[in-house]
Amino acid sequence: MFKLALKNTLFYKGRSTATAVLTFASTILFILYISLTNGSHNAILENSLKIYTGAIEIYHKDYRDIGGNEYLIQNVKAITDKLAKIEAIEAYSTRYETYGLLSNKEHSAASMVAGIEPEKEKILSSLESALTEGAFLDKNSANCVYMGIELAKKLKLGIGDEVAFIGSASDGSFAADIFRVCATFKTGSFEFDSSSSFIARSYFDELMYAKNRASYITIKLKNIDDAEKVNSQIITIIDDENLESLTWKTLMRNMVESMEVDAVFGYISLSLFMVVIFFVIMIYGFINVSSRIKGFGVLRCIGLSKRNIFSILFYEILILSILATVLATPIAAYICYYYSINPIVIEGIADIYKDYGIVLNEIPFDFNLFTIGWNLGVIYLLNFLSILYPYMYINSFGPFEATRHV
Amino acid sequence: MIKLQNVNKYFYRGEPREVHALRDINLIIEAGEFTLFRGPSGCGKTTLLNVIGALDSCDSGEIFLQEREITALSEGERTNLRLHEMGFVFQAYNLIPVLNVEENIGFVMRLRGFSDSDIKKRVLEVATLLEIDNKLKSLPNALSGGQQQRVAVARAVAAKPKIILADEPTANLDSKNSEILIGMMRELNEREEISILFASHDELIMRSVTRIVTLIDGAVADDYKQ
Ligand SMILES: Nc1ncnc2c1ncn2[C@@H]1O[C@H](COP(=O)(O)OP(=O)(O)OP(=O)(O)O)[C@@H](O)[C@H]1O
Ligand SMILES: [Mg+2]
Repeated sequence: MFKLALKNTLFYKGRSTATAVLTFASTILFILYISLTNGSHNAILENSLKIYTGAIEIYHKDYRDIGGNEYLIQNVKAITDKLAKIEAIEAYSTRYETYGLLSNKEHSAASMVAGIEPEKEKILSSLESALTEGAFLDKNSANCVYMGIELAKKLKLGIGDEVAFIGSASDGSFAADIFRVCATFKTGSFEFDSSSSFIARSYFDELMYAKNRASYITIKLKNIDDAEKVNSQIITIIDDENLESLTWKTLMRNMVESMEVDAVFGYISLSLFMVVIFFVIMIYGFINVSSRIKGFGVLRCIGLSKRNIFSILFYEILILSILATVLATPIAAYICYYYSINPIVIEGIADIYKDYGIVLNEIPFDFNLFTIGWNLGVIYLLNFLSILYPYMYINSFGPFEATRHV
Repeated sequence: MIKLQNVNKYFYRGEPREVHALRDINLIIEAGEFTLFRGPSGCGKTTLLNVIGALDSCDSGEIFLQEREITALSEGERTNLRLHEMGFVFQAYNLIPVLNVEENIGFVMRLRGFSDSDIKKRVLEVATLLEIDNKLKSLPNALSGGQQQRVAVARAVAAKPKIILADEPTANLDSKNSEILIGMMRELNEREEISILFASHDELIMRSVTRIVTLIDGAVADDYKQ
């Protein structure tokens, strides 16, 4: 049967080529489409995580909803000691965030001012790599402020300029100081760049009475996919019902939701795409088969079983699918690979997604052999499904009836 | 031996356009007979060949091939029966266009699992007999009608079936080619003890066969051996 199928595909060159080309094109489109979708999602996720949000963050309950000094984490050291024991955690850092008024002689602006551990932030976030001018903080930075570039512009500040800070310390008392702009940063997120500034905790804690307290602890994992698992581990180890430990999925719910919506639309358009491929291949196969009803009838008459007929159709589509995918896969994989390393640049993409912290106008593809593997599986499946209806159509004729079919 | 007992066949049974295509057919065809079914167009010749060849079912009556009741077989069993015991020659040759002459002739044997060397030997044997041995590597569409029909006969006989059913095998051939074909089939019939059943109007066939069954309106009107 295989040989006959092979000869059929070679004999009917036109329609074999057309089927193979269809499969070829749909394989390439399909792989690229999935790769692009996955790639852009990964990029959004990675960028937003890298800037400032951790894979997991630990808060005092209600801090995120209500905020304020009552909901600071106390006795931070006890918690971080416990975190140090968890294998899967690559790094953690404590942050003390507060809001205050920054002003120079003429301008003032409200800003988040956060006390950070500069050495640890280098590992945890991309704050350091967002540096545009000056030098990133370290623990001897004293009253140096690391300021978002948009905020600096708003306040008309340059490197070395002084700026007054007014806020309230962790005990509720009045806190004021003069900071000096040591460096500016640009993440690409306008929101963030226009309302954030950072001070080394070593200095800021004194001012704010914030020693051994924190707004939250941010955690970086060795592998982000472990987030849920490690999170439950953290909850068990810390064992404090006043604290909550949340993964990025919760922390960035808005973004995750929009990504999921995006994914749902992705899947809808994907299934439309597959339905189209399916019908194109099937209708094409059906037309082919209809024109061969007579031939199949003859085969049935001289003693081929229905199973034999099915085998012929199956092998034909198998041969063509293999041919098409063998050609298409390396091409598609190479394109994915190429664009995963050299992402496509689309001007303006960052503007659309800047709320989510997309920094670059780049859309990387995802190069993942497993994904390509299941994509191929889907293509084969569609192709095989597409012979079922033509097969049933053939069988709707009796053997002799079919030989008379025109 | 083929035995038909009270075979009836209808098309569109129960509808106003019902056709009673075969009426109470009773026939015994001995092994090795060279038989012609004849009669006016629409009398049921093709239908009769088809029910004997297990291509079609009948509505009542029984057909036996040797001891086996064809009419009681499942579809799969009938397919198997066609493969192992029957050979078919069609009016329109119906060769497999993608296979060359040699492969076409050997096709049924291959399906039945004969060894390559057996197939090769037998193909050459029947091809020589039918004088197409010089065309073994050609594709069917490179052959004349007469040659194609000889390939079809070769395909039908190659696997040594018990019966060959040939529906108007000469309808597309000129008289010279018809004569050659019938002569060769007669030779095969005698040499290999294959029963051959024709359905045809062809005078030529009428002169060559050993038995003529005349059908009229689906019933046997006349049956004589010459
Ligand atoms: N598949 C079918 N569906 C409906 N009616 C059919 C079918 N096949 C044959 N018939 C009818 O059965 C009757 C016998 O047809 P059959 O084909 O056996 O005649 P025939 O003797 O072979 O005729 P011809 O010499 O023209 O080939 C005819 O009336 C025909 O119309
Ligand atoms: Mg007929």
